[in-house]
Amino acid sequence: MGPRTRALVAAGSGITVGIAGLALSSLPAGADDDPVLPAIGAEELVASTLAARAPAFAGVAELQNELGLPAVPGTEALDFEKVRVFHDGEESARVQVERQASELTFVKNADEAWAYDSQERTAKALTWDEDDAEAARGHAEAGMADPSQSAAEIIEQLRPTSDIAVDGTASVAGRAAYELVLTPKPSEKTLLREITVAIDEETRVPLRFDVFANGTSDPVLSLGFVELEIGAQDADLFEFTPPDGAKVETTEADDAVRTLEDTEDAGVGQRMTTVGTGWDTVVVGEAPVEGSVGDSGGDAGERGEDLDGLLQQIGTPVTGEFGSGTYVRIAVGGAVVTEDGRIAAGAVPRQVLVDALDGTVRQ
Amino acid sequence: MTALPDVLPDVPPAELPARRRAPLWRLLRAEVRWIFRRPRTLVVLALLAVLPVITGVAVDLTLNGGGAPVDTGPPGAGPGASDGGPPIFVTMAASAFVLPLGSLMTLLMLMLPLTVAMASGDALAGEQSHGTLRGWLLAPVSRGRLLLVKSAGVLVVALVASGLVVASGMVTGLVLTGTDGLVSMSGTELSMGDVLWRLGVAVAWATFYLMAIGAVALAISAFTEHPMVVVVGVLGGLIVSVVLMQISALDWLHPYLLPSSLTSMVDLIRDPVSFDGLAEGAFRAGCYLVIGMSLAYARITTKDG
Repeated sequence: MGPRTRALVAAGSGITVGIAGLALSSLPAGADDDPVLPAIGAEELVASTLAARAPAFAGVAELQNELGLPAVPGTEALDFEKVRVFHDGEESARVQVERQASELTFVKNADEAWAYDSQERTAKALTWDEDDAEAARGHAEAGMADPSQSAAEIIEQLRPTSDIAVDGTASVAGRAAYELVLTPKPSEKTLLREITVAIDEETRVPLRFDVFANGTSDPVLSLGFVELEIGAQDADLFEFTPPDGAKVETTEADDAVRTLEDTEDAGVGQRMTTVGTGWDTVVVGEAPVEGSVGDSGGDAGERGEDLDGLLQQIGTPVTGEFGSGTYVRIAVGGAVVTEDGRIAAGAVPRQVLVDALDGTVRQ
Repeated sequence: MTALPDVLPDVPPAELPARRRAPLWRLLRAEVRWIFRRPRTLVVLALLAVLPVITGVAVDLTLNGGGAPVDTGPPGAGPGASDGGPPIFVTMAASAFVLPLGSLMTLLMLMLPLTVAMASGDALAGEQSHGTLRGWLLAPVSRGRLLLVKSAGVLVVALVASGLVVASGMVTGLVLTGTDGLVSMSGTELSMGDVLWRLGVAVAWATFYLMAIGAVALAISAFTEHPMVVVVGVLGGLIVSVVLMQISALDWLHPYLLPSSLTSMVDLIRDPVSFDGLAEGAFRAGCYLVIGMSLAYARITTKDG
């Protein structure tokens, strides 16, 4: 082999290997075939899922958000791509919502729940007595980012107003799972087509959910595990001590309801009410305009103006008994922001939002 | 013409010295000494050591002086939107150990690749333009070993540069915030040993990443005799990659782009550390390394003196 041929072979094979490696790393993981599982009735699957208790596990979940939400304050809750979830199989859980350069860490054990925001450097603690344990669970914010919790919540909430069916199987994070499909009953006035939840065959833990809107084939919202490892977890993961220099706020569970009404909690909701049930639930509340973002108080007013300008650009005017406002449509629904600073949002057609606003005005 | 045959028989063939191979370590030592004798190398390294200090002091003054937190951009701005001012430094005030990692991440975008590209440009193209590469090509050193020595030189530059950034950042961080503030992004206190192994991983990872860039730079360097072309090629490639990464319609292309690995370095500040992103980044860098090295090898073995 002459030096020229050898050079050609070296260059050719090197480039081939390198590009093949890059292509390999770009392949989506988990493109396995659907597993074959024993048939199961939808009701039985739902009942066993709601009764199931998460085993001890560590997992990584990813969020795909195609909702098309404008960058409005209050939508930070869905502004992440990856979340790490740890469960000890009992009461304790650790959920780490990873943002690009900061992190929200939720740690919950039998006695207390912590929420630490590395960007704000705040640590919020929630403690409770034996009696309030149930109430406290509702206020531990971490649930939403954990697919196993949020999917179970979806099933529980939408069960009465849905047609439920088992539609085949899927492989999620390397585990065999049933696909449960929730379709809105014809009476529901929603823009959603269906929600599918992948439920682990062995443990009955929900592994992934996908939300589909009318007229699209890809999910508009998908949250699911990409890695899941069942096994005992290090007990240290479920303890939290706020670091030096962090702002610490402590709340008792029975005060938590009151705190919700104060500014800065989950971001979206102060004095929120819901109208309707199931798929056509409309959330009516105060528009998160000033000060509610909870940080950098100085430019909150500026952001308010930005928001008004933004609304006028992307929205269409709407009027009703409630007065007038702006309607903004997103992939799975919309929101009406009224001129007197209220907001109604839901995965429903525009008229349902207007009716909801009219209804709450009359009260 | 006629003198040559007369001279040759005078030297008996048995007396010809055996084919000598210069010892590798001597070549390496000479190459490294040569690199660190160049004023431009020293200037760039000094600059790299100073930048974390400037960043640290600036962030410290902003956070403690004005009292107002650094604006971290509009809420809801998705990943990829924060290339301008990494909000990672906001965490710095709480943790001395964010500064070395944050500086390393920021400098890995352009400044460190520039250093490595410069070293690679000098290694082959620069020597060729001065006519000194000719000596190497004629010396009793195989072309493969020549490339090995040159890559080792670039590797040393990458290691020293990233180690310097981290060391200078760590010292600055400790001076500014003290040892008791070693907090991870997940809100846990870290021991000094914990911090040191994380920084060690960061330096090793950064060196490997820079070596991938260095390999591509060496390939360009082998094809040209203008060191400037190497630097411009590498920086141009990186800038184009970063621009492509901002275009979400090209999602499918992003795993092929080297700088997409950079954000995974943040994982080292999280607790527990997740190595998935770093491993993927290292694998990607490995692919670039193979491509770059094979091209450089192909070119250098066919180069005429």
